[in-house]
Amino acid sequence: MPKLIIDDIAVEAAEGVSVLEAAKSVGITIPHFCWHPALGRAGACRVCAVKLLDGPVKGIQMSCMLPAQEGMVVSTTDPEAVALRRQVIEWLMINHPHDCPVCDEGGECQLQDFTIACGHGTRRFVGPKRTHVNQELGPYISHEMNRCIQCYRCVRFYQEYAGGSDFGVMGSAGKVYYGRFESGQLESPFSGNLVDICPTGVFTDKTARFRARYWDYDMAPSVCPGCSVGCNITPVARYRELLKIVARRNDMVNGWFICDRGRFAPKGVNAPSRPRTSLVDGVKTGREEAMDALLRRLGEVAELYGEGSIAVVGSTRLSQEGATLLPLLAESISAGALSYGLSAAESRASSGAISMLTLENGASIADVENADCIAIYESDLREEGPMLLLAVRQAWRRGAPVLLVGENSPLEQVRGVGIEAVQLHYMEEAPLAIFERPVVIAGMRHGDPRVMAVLDRSGARVACLFPGPNGHGAALLCAEHGGIPLEEALAKGKVKGLVAVEADIPAELLAGVPFVASLDWRETAAVQAASVVIPTAAWVECDGTYVNFEGRAQRFSRVMKPGLPIKELDPACHPPRIHQGDPPGGDILPSWQVMIEMIRLAGEKVPDGPFSGSWANLTSLDPEGEGEVIRGRCRRDS
Amino acid sequence: MIPEALKNELKARVAAAVTNREAAVDVMKRLQAHYGWLTDEGVHESAEILGMTTLQVEELATFYEMIYRRPVGRRVIHVCDSISCWAMGGESLMAHMAGHLGIGVGETTSDGVFTLLPCCCLGNCGEAPTMMIGDTLYGRLDSARAGQLLEEERAAVMGEMEGGR
Repeated sequence: MPKLIIDDIAVEAAEGVSVLEAAKSVGITIPHFCWHPALGRAGACRVCAVKLLDGPVKGIQMSCMLPAQEGMVVSTTDPEAVALRRQVIEWLMINHPHDCPVCDEGGECQLQDFTIACGHGTRRFVGPKRTHVNQELGPYISHEMNRCIQCYRCVRFYQEYAGGSDFGVMGSAGKVYYGRFESGQLESPFSGNLVDICPTGVFTDKTARFRARYWDYDMAPSVCPGCSVGCNITPVARYRELLKIVARRNDMVNGWFICDRGRFAPKGVNAPSRPRTSLVDGVKTGREEAMDALLRRLGEVAELYGEGSIAVVGSTRLSQEGATLLPLLAESISAGALSYGLSAAESRASSGAISMLTLENGASIADVENADCIAIYESDLREEGPMLLLAVRQAWRRGAPVLLVGENSPLEQVRGVGIEAVQLHYMEEAPLAIFERPVVIAGMRHGDPRVMAVLDRSGARVACLFPGPNGHGAALLCAEHGGIPLEEALAKGKVKGLVAVEADIPAELLAGVPFVASLDWRETAAVQAASVVIPTAAWVECDGTYVNFEGRAQRFSRVMKPGLPIKELDPACHPPRIHQGDPPGGDILPSWQVMIEMIRLAGEKVPDGPFSGSWANLTSLDPEGEGEVIRGRCRRDS
Repeated sequence: MIPEALKNELKARVAAAVTNREAAVDVMKRLQAHYGWLTDEGVHESAEILGMTTLQVEELATFYEMIYRRPVGRRVIHVCDSISCWAMGGESLMAHMAGHLGIGVGETTSDGVFTLLPCCCLGNCGEAPTMMIGDTLYGRLDSARAGQLLEEERAAVMGEMEGGR
């Protein structure tokens, strides 16, 4: 651990870090463009200049390129270093257009920040600027090459980190151009990260162009609901409309990046057809009345069809709060069946996984990145967990062989990240034992649950890709409370009343059920079939918890208040001439709170909050922390 | 489209290379010789022969100044504008060439014979000022010698064109 002095502050730097990182560790930000924590250094922008006053190296140096060494005395404020940085930024700004007012990056632009930080305020250059022709890069990303400062971050991410081969850097010297051979949609499933990683406005999110400025955003730490990986994100909203999704760093999960599916998937939260008011037989009503009607009709079903004719159905997208309260709701209305999922196969796979996983044998994304051999078992990671593909590539870059096992592991998935892989038929063929840090990524859509025993004996760490963002949490609760898959419950023919809580149940499964009620924020088949509908808050409209594939419980925070987006309000009724605290359509509770209200109405004892007993430790999860790994609590032999 | 024979020859060249990429410049130069410049079609064909994407070929094609991604004359003149040649009269040489040909730097003569381009060092600093016409390097140039060379090259090109008819 080298000891050095930076701006009169004694710093003990970690082994191998640069002077720039050492300075950062004590709160000194040295301007930088080409250096990025996930990509390392390039020495391309020259803006991180510092002066070394004493020690093994002296004079002006690039702090990102220089490893922190014992005895260094570094000054970031030395007049020579300050002057150099000012000249470099002035030179970088020579060709940069003065278009900040019409640039989507304005306000969240690293180039703006560091131009000011380097002390360049007045442009002296009066010559013509170099200009470029932009490309059409598809529906998600805008291209504005004139803003480019040639830091190479985009191409280093796209080609080296993500293995893309259709975007790169062309030309040389003053005519360097970042783009494709010709216009066309970027092929990498991680292309959206160009928006995050570009220090200025060359790449901006086309889906949210010209909608809001950074200081107007509603933002909060959140977790992506796209799959079971649980990438950390910052959703950005304005006027109760979700505008865009930005990656949020969590080194234990997604690192700095997210996939395009998570970023650009259609935002159901904004769907105009979303259930926004409680309905009883299609008639708008208040929530209390709807809950009363729901309980009354469930009573009628029980009376007519007898004990145990009611099923309560959750899902793998229901937050852990909701999933935890589901058994209490089932008890309060004397339900005969509790389901966390639909299919028996999926349920077998999930229960097989949770009874195999332990704290020791479960794999995180970091374990995948550091693996020396990776087997992808019966999975197309593009569907089941795209970010794992990016992690697999990092391991492959360090030399780990990649094995694709089974007929549902297509070769195309690894081509998208530019890696080679060997295809095998059976898990038993994978020579995992000869490696030190093997990892198996097991798909659960097509995987045979019996393979879990093979994996358990293999000595490899295992990542099981559960369905849905809370598949792992739902499976743990399902095991704890004896849940059964809905298909199985319906097959017995006893279910005559069904309460779907954020559950996607196809219409054909509902056809034989006389009474259906739905608590949801999506317009699902269950909502359409339901006699009683109670809207719930979407994930960005409430706090909640998802337990990701590895069993990491992660808290997400409310980004915006529930309510009708301003653009959906009738302009003729504006401004509203009544006084109210909540926005129009804002009287919506998260599903777990609706369930608590129902339990109260049913006359049962109401829990203080969603988590109690062995789940109480989830109450204090920090949304900005790394989450808490809870896997292994269902292991049969423990 | 390039002849099948050329394609097969280039595929053999690629097969003999340790990595495909190292054969890229050879392939691009051969296709450039075939088309007169590296056309978009040529980039697609190079990519196919090399097993690379068009973008990967374009990255190399646009980096090297002797791969031409726009139409050029029969002889491309590269006049060095690097430091040694500049100190030895490279600027006057370039001005003289432009004046003699009646075109600006980066342009092609109306008869399609010459394209005039600046170039960053031909590795011939000891003979500065220096330039390259087609594949031939010339050093210790003055305006008289340069004019004479242009006449010789023009005559040679005319001869080739006659012969080609």
